[in-house]
Amino acid sequence: MTAQVTVGRQMVWAELLRLRKKRGLMALVLAVVLGPLVVWTGYSVIEHASNPAHYGPAGGLEHYGRMLSLLGVFMGPVAAVLIGAEAGAGDLAAGVFRDNVLTGRSRLALFLARIPAALAVTFAATGVAFAFGLAVTYAFAGALATPSLSVVLESAAWLALANGLVCVIAIGAASLSGSRPGTITAFVAWELVLSPLLVQSASLGSLRRGLLDGALLFLKPGPGGGQPTIPMPVAVAIIVLAAWLLVLPTLGAWRMRTRDA
Amino acid sequence: MQPIHANQDHGGPALETAGLTKRFGDRVAVDDVSLSVPRGTAYGFLGHNGAGKTTLIRMLLGLTGISEGSVSVLGLPVPAERARALARVGAIVEEPSFYPHLTGRENLRIAAAVRSPEARSRVDGALHRVGLEKRAEDRVGTYSLGMRQRLGLARCLLSDPELLVLDEPMNGLDPGGMLDMRMMIRSLVEEDGRTVFISSHLLDEVEKTCEAAAIIDRGRVIAQGPIGELVAEGAGELIIECDDTDRALALLAGEPTVRDLRREGRGLRMKLHGPAQAGQINAQLVTAGVTVTRLEPVRRSLEERFLEMTTRLEVAA
Repeated sequence: MTAQVTVGRQMVWAELLRLRKKRGLMALVLAVVLGPLVVWTGYSVIEHASNPAHYGPAGGLEHYGRMLSLLGVFMGPVAAVLIGAEAGAGDLAAGVFRDNVLTGRSRLALFLARIPAALAVTFAATGVAFAFGLAVTYAFAGALATPSLSVVLESAAWLALANGLVCVIAIGAASLSGSRPGTITAFVAWELVLSPLLVQSASLGSLRRGLLDGALLFLKPGPGGGQPTIPMPVAVAIIVLAAWLLVLPTLGAWRMRTRDA
Repeated sequence: MQPIHANQDHGGPALETAGLTKRFGDRVAVDDVSLSVPRGTAYGFLGHNGAGKTTLIRMLLGLTGISEGSVSVLGLPVPAERARALARVGAIVEEPSFYPHLTGRENLRIAAAVRSPEARSRVDGALHRVGLEKRAEDRVGTYSLGMRQRLGLARCLLSDPELLVLDEPMNGLDPGGMLDMRMMIRSLVEEDGRTVFISSHLLDEVEKTCEAAAIIDRGRVIAQGPIGELVAEGAGELIIECDDTDRALALLAGEPTVRDLRREGRGLRMKLHGPAQAGQINAQLVTAGVTVTRLEPVRRSLEERFLEMTTRLEVAA
């Protein structure tokens, strides 16, 4: 049993090493989560400096709410997809999957080891962006209200939930399809185009409750940040998130076990 | 790296198959193959490209299902006891693949992590064993094919395997690389007591590297055994040079034990019914006053033998 735990820990460490050493991916992930935030903040600071009467300060609660939406339902999930797709299909792309299978190690264990490693990288990247956004919220608040500590902590937990969920779902999808580019294309299109459109389509009515972003936005703490909130019982939101979390990763794990090595 | 304790459990063959068959729809890729690979030897598995070598290896390692028959790896049935069996096996199937953005050492550390708690301590020894310690910190993306093959062998050694299964390990190597690989394989067998199962279409290399071999053609094993026996089987050719070739030709033409007699270079080449006949031929020529200057049994290479067997089957088909 101890040996199994040791090997399990080693496997997670190995996945983490594989991901963090992929410098191009790491640079892209940081660019995706930090880039828009930096550009937007810089633009807001310049706007406020040039015409303070017309443009409010770059920080404060409103900035905070928008920053959370950006990191929780737009760019954060895109970064999580990039990481999840690499974690889910990187070994297949490199041809190392067969070697891993040849060790006799359980394929389910191989699949499960990907999750904590990918989550660690996702949380680190999102954490850096969140810290930057938080600093801007307070540093450029001027006379505006700022979020309380409890809101900050709730927001951090919500960001971890939102990006972690997308990351695990992307791992499942990449393991299922065996394709990084395919997974990234499909998920980025979903996260940046389709899902925001569907969330805002009032004609869909309560069907929107089934959307991942719908449930996540409902649970988002603090100010709205410009995103619509779909009313639903908390239990429904939790069930929706659990369903998303279960379906694709389960299919990915199944495919991993049955895939011809 | 410490030598393994060969034959540490049961003394049976390292690999054994009985009636092993693989079908893809109507096509039979591997047909009723029964093999027995003795422990502590280098065993060659010869065949043309597409003969069924890789399919058989994939069945041995539980990578693909078996249509019929049985497989035993180190005394354990596969796929039933696949995990236990493979824990003592190192294998390269088709070609060794690595993460190109990582160094050789990082790739081995990742591979070790999946194997066992002890495997990580073997990384340095494995790199040293295959002569890659000086390039261990370079990214694998910069490695030549020969270096990747050696790194693949190092990866196999991480589990301190009793059995290594190497699919075309000489593929793409230059002559120097082939020599290195051959010496490494021999050292694994002779110094460590490991069993090495090598599939290849490079007959000369198998002949130089292995003690025994099986020949597969269109999914069927058509011959197997020690290399010496495979080569000797069907032998009995003789080359003679003498001071009067015309007279020798006339004398031997009527000899019933001689067939396929023909001139070759400065002498004669013939087939005999048995190796003992060579002495009689010599005596006959000397008695007739012909001075024999060269009398040499033809030693056929495995390649000639292989081509002879597979060609015969093609003609029969």
